[in-house]
Amino acid sequence: MNNKQFLTELSGRCQMSAEQAAQQAQKLIGVMEELWQNGDSVSLSGFGVLEVKKKNERVSVNPTTGVRMLVPPKLVLTYKPSSLLKEKLK
Amino acid sequence: MDKKINLTQLADLLSQAGGMSKSASEQFVKNFFDIISQNVLSDGLVKVKGLGTFKLLQMEDRESVNVNTGERFTIEGHQKISFTPDSDLKEVINKPFAAFETVEITSEQADTLASMNTVSQQEEESDESSEVIAKEVIPVAAQEKVTVVEDMPLESGKVNDNEAKVEPTVKDVTQKRGVRFLIKLLIWILAILLIVPLLLYLFWPLIGNSVLEFVERDIKTRNKTEYVADSIRSVPKPVMETAPVTPQPSKPAEQPQSQEKPSQTAPAQQQAPVQTTPAQQPSKPAETTPAKPAASTVTTGQGTSGYPAVKLNSADTAKDLKDFTEADTVNFIMDGDLTVHTLKSDETITKLALKYYGTKKLWPYIVKYNNVKDASKLHEGAKIRIPVLKAK
Repeated sequence: MNNKQFLTELSGRCQMSAEQAAQQAQKLIGVMEELWQNGDSVSLSGFGVLEVKKKNERVSVNPTTGVRMLVPPKLVLTYKPSSLLKEKLK
Repeated sequence: MDKKINLTQLADLLSQAGGMSKSASEQFVKNFFDIISQNVLSDGLVKVKGLGTFKLLQMEDRESVNVNTGERFTIEGHQKISFTPDSDLKEVINKPFAAFETVEITSEQADTLASMNTVSQQEEESDESSEVIAKEVIPVAAQEKVTVVEDMPLESGKVNDNEAKVEPTVKDVTQKRGVRFLIKLLIWILAILLIVPLLLYLFWPLIGNSVLEFVERDIKTRNKTEYVADSIRSVPKPVMETAPVTPQPSKPAEQPQSQEKPSQTAPAQQQAPVQTTPAQQPSKPAETTPAKPAASTVTTGQGTSGYPAVKLNSADTAKDLKDFTEADTVNFIMDGDLTVHTLKSDETITKLALKYYGTKKLWPYIVKYNNVKDASKLHEGAKIRIPVLKAK
């Protein structure tokens, strides 16, 4: 399901135009982005948690050349599905 | 900070952002995530622009080991939802660490890291045997940590540690630059070494002649200095190579020369007379034969001339003879003409010396006797007077 399909379905469920849906979706993402930048996590029951986690720096080795690289630390947005959703998978 | 935002809070924030009532926005957010979760399960893939991609992954069976008991067991295959954030979103979220880049680690740094690890391990291992050392070492490490934290007064401790760990890479970069500079220098030197001969080769037609001339001159001058003895150079009289046989005018010129010589070789001279019995001219029989008649003609006046004496006593004093002739330090008096030799095409003065005296080393006397200035310029047919040599 790509973005277009996603937006059409969203607009259908919320009974609004596709354009409006797209706008609102962008706003929602913008709001969440701000939250994540502040270090907050977004947890939604039945869906899961979207959270920013810090990955430590590490030494990685290129297996073909044997060159060691120091990979710097970084902040990554992670998603952990809720247990409800996980059970649906089984 | 570190708050957990739930559905209603998120809906509030969205409604504040504008456009929708609280209830509508709540509905919207709910639908938003419902669609994602449902379609991930049904389609296996949901892409949301600006957020990222949710994907359903099929995990295969795999074997694992219970860490506590060491038992092996299989983790059964299952499905898993993965999420990859949009690249734009990724960058925005990683902004605080955007300055860092992946750095290549040199072997030196790896070694230091390894040594640090081993040191810490050793400390752990040798807690009983070397408590004292451990006590000494550990406080230092602790101090270091403290200073590191103090140096980096930032928001959270975790971040501080990270930056402190990244810092050494800057040093490595400078080290690397030094190494690179050295390598560049080497390459330049090699390049120059290669290019110079190439240029010489290319421009040889232009430079070559002058260079050759220079080299020739150099060789000539060297030859001169080597070939003409100093004593001869100092001879005041101008030279006639093909000097006619005029022994009388040349004789006075010889006397000052013979006076000069003793000064040059004074110590050797003192030894020489002890050895020099009158019969001391070395010569192999084959060489002496051609000179014989000449000697006999000339030595009428001089009974003790070197040459005939040799013939008499050659068997007895061959050794003594060699000693002083090879030394080239014994002084002889030139006493009249032994013979006059006409130079042939391949003859040199040294050859004449060998022929008439039995040793090459006495050639300077011939040169001196004839006032030859440049022995290399003698030409075929030149008449050379061979002096009778008489040991002093």
